[in-house]
Amino acid sequence: MSLAVDPGLPVEIGTIGKELGKLWEESGDTKTRASLINLAIYTENPDAVLWNTGLIAEIAGEHACRALLIFADPAADKPDARAWISAHCHMAGKGERQICSEQITFELDGEMVHSLPNIVFSHLDSDLPLYFWWQGEFREPLDQKLWSWIDRLIFDSADWRNPVEQLAIARKIATLNAERTILCDLNWTRLLGTRFALAQLFDHSCANARMREIEKVTITASRRSTGLLLLGWLATQFGWKFQSLLGKEFFLPQSGGHIDFSVTENPGADIAEVSFQTADVSFGIRREEYSEYFHGYIDGGGFCNTNMVLSAGKSRIEDILLMELSRGGKHPLYAKAICAIEPLLGH
Amino acid sequence: MPDTNEGNPLREGLSSRNMPEPCAVVIFGATGDLTHRKLVPALYNLAADGALPPAVSVVGFARRDKTDEVFRTEIEEAARKFSRQKINDELWSSFSSSIFYHRSEFDNLEGYEALAKRLDELDAQRGTRGNRLFYLSAGPDQFPVILENLRKSGLNKAQPGSWARVIVEKPFGTDLPTAQILNNMVVEAFPEKDTFRIDHYLGKETAQNMMVLRFANAIFEQLWNSRYIDHVQITASEPLGVEGRAGYYDKSGALRDMVQNHLLQLLCLTAMEPPAGLDADAIRDEKVKVLKSLRPIVGDDVRKYVVRAQYGAGAINGKRVAAYRDEQGVDQNSVTETYVALQVNIDNWRWAGVPFFVRVGKRLPKACTEIAVQFKGAPAVLFNATGETIDSNVLVIRIQPDEGISLRMSAKMPGSSLQIEPVKMDFHYGTSFGKATPEAYERLLLDAMSGDATLFARRDEVEEAWKFVDALHDAWAKETDDLAMYSAGTWGPTEADELIKRYGATWRRL
Repeated sequence: MSLAVDPGLPVEIGTIGKELGKLWEESGDTKTRASLINLAIYTENPDAVLWNTGLIAEIAGEHACRALLIFADPAADKPDARAWISAHCHMAGKGERQICSEQITFELDGEMVHSLPNIVFSHLDSDLPLYFWWQGEFREPLDQKLWSWIDRLIFDSADWRNPVEQLAIARKIATLNAERTILCDLNWTRLLGTRFALAQLFDHSCANARMREIEKVTITASRRSTGLLLLGWLATQFGWKFQSLLGKEFFLPQSGGHIDFSVTENPGADIAEVSFQTADVSFGIRREEYSEYFHGYIDGGGFCNTNMVLSAGKSRIEDILLMELSRGGKHPLYAKAICAIEPLLGH
Repeated sequence: MPDTNEGNPLREGLSSRNMPEPCAVVIFGATGDLTHRKLVPALYNLAADGALPPAVSVVGFARRDKTDEVFRTEIEEAARKFSRQKINDELWSSFSSSIFYHRSEFDNLEGYEALAKRLDELDAQRGTRGNRLFYLSAGPDQFPVILENLRKSGLNKAQPGSWARVIVEKPFGTDLPTAQILNNMVVEAFPEKDTFRIDHYLGKETAQNMMVLRFANAIFEQLWNSRYIDHVQITASEPLGVEGRAGYYDKSGALRDMVQNHLLQLLCLTAMEPPAGLDADAIRDEKVKVLKSLRPIVGDDVRKYVVRAQYGAGAINGKRVAAYRDEQGVDQNSVTETYVALQVNIDNWRWAGVPFFVRVGKRLPKACTEIAVQFKGAPAVLFNATGETIDSNVLVIRIQPDEGISLRMSAKMPGSSLQIEPVKMDFHYGTSFGKATPEAYERLLLDAMSGDATLFARRDEVEEAWKFVDALHDAWAKETDDLAMYSAGTWGPTEADELIKRYGATWRRL
């Protein structure tokens, strides 16, 4: 399948370096090439090329990068490989000059899909880390050389059709070069605003004092996987252990008793509501679909001020990727959170 | 309300930085410029970024009579004008409901007792857990009476499990004795661990990056000593004049206003040894060692190593500007320095024989704060053998504006002849990290709420810096004929050029 969009200046793959050099020479002193990372994006969706190009243009303003956008069509009859180059520029400072990031777009058809490792290795900006966003399902067998080269493997578990299988492959990739590769699940990054808001809710002395009295947690999320991941984080942080007994699933807190939970799918905000019930108090955060804020509430028990407006973070995937790029570091809590709800992933 | 609070496990691992705890922030001098321009916008931006616990309350304490509502309206105007992020009405509505006004004279104990009651009520209403952060943003002459009344009213003492901290704005005294008196007053009310002396230069990203540059990059630290470094230049220049601060500035001058705090802090970050850890005291211990190693400039050495000057009339950006003595509020016979250049020597193993040239001035051609590390030249063989000068390497850390780092090196010009020219490798924060950096006050307020004093000056730092600066002032007090003049819009007096020339160097062209 050929790309329906023109992603830049068509070039021979063997001359990409030279053509990029020309591009910068022609721009004179008015443009400065900048790069902090190699950002490779792999997709098998031809319609995603245009969208990804827009996304790269947007993130390049905050994270200068060399972007490799790879569209692969393994089912194509005729093996073929084509490339285009382009630049994304934005004005810097007081507008004296433009700062630019490079994008190299590849189309790999048929058998040429197997040249993916070579395509990536040949076009990396040297000495810079490789962030690889794999837009789609992981497949085995894994090319060890390619996967072990990746510094940050970005994916979105919200898109997984078979979470149990995909999680197993992702973990396998991470072990190929455990020193280097960090798993970056955008579904986890998506929860950052919610996690901050919940932390702020529990800063409040009223909620904080009831932390060990929680009897039920209810989460309403646009996708079950997102809600489950949040539940996993809460369980990890509060020290709750998952239990399944006689067909009933619940968490065991360290303080004794048990905690019921429900994760409900509802179109709208990624996380629309998280509520906690104790014997006499209900508290939580609630968000309208298009609002940038959660409203914190505490009901019952003669409790106090509940006029809390809490930043909910961003929802657009472009913003979530930007957040992921900005945060850096490892994600040890992610691994723990996903372990905490792993038995629920197959449901 | 239950009176026991645990830690918050949801905070663990959420951020790599310390998280602030809910508290009441009491701003003394709440109707002043700093509150409107910096503090409230900083608090709003923290709230917008989700970094501020929603239970945080802000109480403005000032003399003028006004209601909470009037105060909120006033600071909303300021926040809309000065906030780096656009004000969101929904968030502002919630944020502003956490802002209160408390009218009292600074010397009225009853006003503080009433404040204590009000803060207790806010604890109950908003869940601020008894934590208090007192921000002394009033004029420095008011600090003693505020501290005394905080102590008398018991506001300085936190309940068990809570904390009471104080942020002190500069100037920390006007010389060593006044700094010691102020510090003694502070320590009577608050222990050192709960005292945060703010120097907003330390909240700037590049100043914070100085330690990363030095201690996270092996290539620099190996060269960071007298064997490879010829000298260091630290510059803080600005085209502005006194801009309505004549009353303060004419008593203070450039040495006290800038060198005692900001520039000596930058010097410390440049010269300090690697700290034993990244905790506040480990870092501040190393900075104090640098200050203690500064060779005092006394007697005849003052004329030799220090140039003070004042600007005369001139032009800035195509506009005529008045001489300092003709500025409104300045004494016609003022001998206050608006420019100072000095050669600082550090008597320790690492820096023996490496002078630090420091210059600061008003009405200079452009705004620029930077640290330039000038390396020694390559040996006079091979390319240096012909006697032609090859520029030595310079590592420049730009603090503001256009924060970044550059390295000058020599390169062969293309062509058949061997011609060597300086080239520059340049790293711009704004180019590589497009994201707007938070204001220094945002970082510093957050740190104070989190109890992290790393970016704040400790008592001994402040007093050691005053000790060094006082010796110069004492010498100046005895002589009045050493005040040089320079035209506004130039890079300072020729005497400053001669100062650095005696060492065999020149000021960097900025």
